[in-house]
Amino acid sequence: MPQDIRDLADEEVMQLVQKGDPRAFELLYDRHGGASFSLAYRMVGKQAAAEDVVQEAFLSIWRSRLRYDKARGSVRTWVLGIVHNRAVDGLRRSTVHDRGRETLDVVEERHEARERTDVEVGRREEARSVRGALNTLPDEQRQTIELAYFGGFTQNEIAKLLEEPLGTVKGRMRLGLEKMRRQLVEGVA
Amino acid sequence: MSDHARHQDDVGAYLLGALNDLERKDFERHLRACGECQEELARLRPAADALPSSVQQFEPPARLKASLMEVVEREARVTELPRRRFNRPLAVAAVLLLGLVVGFGVAQLGDDETRTVAATVDKAMPQAGGTLDIEDGTATLQLHDMPELRGPRVYQVWLQHGDQLVPVRTFEVGASGTGRVHLRGVDDADGVYVTREASGGAQVPSEDPIVSVPL
Repeated sequence: MPQDIRDLADEEVMQLVQKGDPRAFELLYDRHGGASFSLAYRMVGKQAAAEDVVQEAFLSIWRSRLRYDKARGSVRTWVLGIVHNRAVDGLRRSTVHDRGRETLDVVEERHEARERTDVEVGRREEARSVRGALNTLPDEQRQTIELAYFGGFTQNEIAKLLEEPLGTVKGRMRLGLEKMRRQLVEGVA
Repeated sequence: MSDHARHQDDVGAYLLGALNDLERKDFERHLRACGECQEELARLRPAADALPSSVQQFEPPARLKASLMEVVEREARVTELPRRRFNRPLAVAAVLLLGLVVGFGVAQLGDDETRTVAATVDKAMPQAGGTLDIEDGTATLQLHDMPELRGPRVYQVWLQHGDQLVPVRTFEVGASGTGRVHLRGVDDADGVYVTREASGGAQVPSEDPIVSVPL
């Protein structure tokens, strides 16, 4: 009896995607589309724009599927990296003024994702842990990391926005990541 | 200041995507030769990779999946034919697996020394098309209704020789959308391809071809 593809690990699903199997691709979307949409929405702040980012990113994943190399990280990290790059491209095409907002637009029809599986419950836990790690950073490090990663700002733009020397901005990003790493990987606060 | 001293503070910005294109390419060039920065990058990467997990989770609308799968299923059907035609290593397969075929077809006119081959064009450019006219080992790639590229980007032609893709030259189409490129050494090539690259061209293609002429 053939194995249900829903039982396969991401890397095995990705092998089927690389063979051009649309059902495997659908499963890939089912597993990571929610996280992708949430990341895109956090970055671009509008539902329609977030949908565009996810659509472009997943079509790019489908069309460049042979470029996935498991030696370079998990499927989820690869997928979210592509979504992040697409969102950054979109943000950098818009004006700095538009991107300056920290408060996200309120959009219609947004619903909290449901906790359906143990995997998703585990991810909720991970999310809490990462948010905790971010929140323990000194404000200036957290702000710099958020402007860079979620705001799509370059280090030079951040230096101008915050009226700080470029070297200070670089240092905050590196120190902030170092502190997060210690908390997440080593459990050291 | 040494190359490493100049770049060691860029690791965080690189992981967060906060370098501009020039800075990123400069850092990646340094990274290839710097074990210390590679180590630092690998050490800090888990922190950067965790950032997407921190965002509030939302359910994407069902229409997003529906429109995505409509495109994917259509492309999966047209990919079947070209996939069977090639049995090459992965890198070349990635280039050849277009699955974006519009009007795939080959028209041979005249004898072996003079022929015209229809180009296969990315579906995202429904109006675009073109031909490769080959005569005595030289060829002319003629394309029409190609989108004018925004930003510092150009079209680039590649010749396939076995498993290798060799960069040939870059070109622009302008507002008319037409491009005409003369090529030599086509008689022993296995295909002619076009990608979009940063101004100045690339040594390896950064995307799957948007125009393809398998020979």
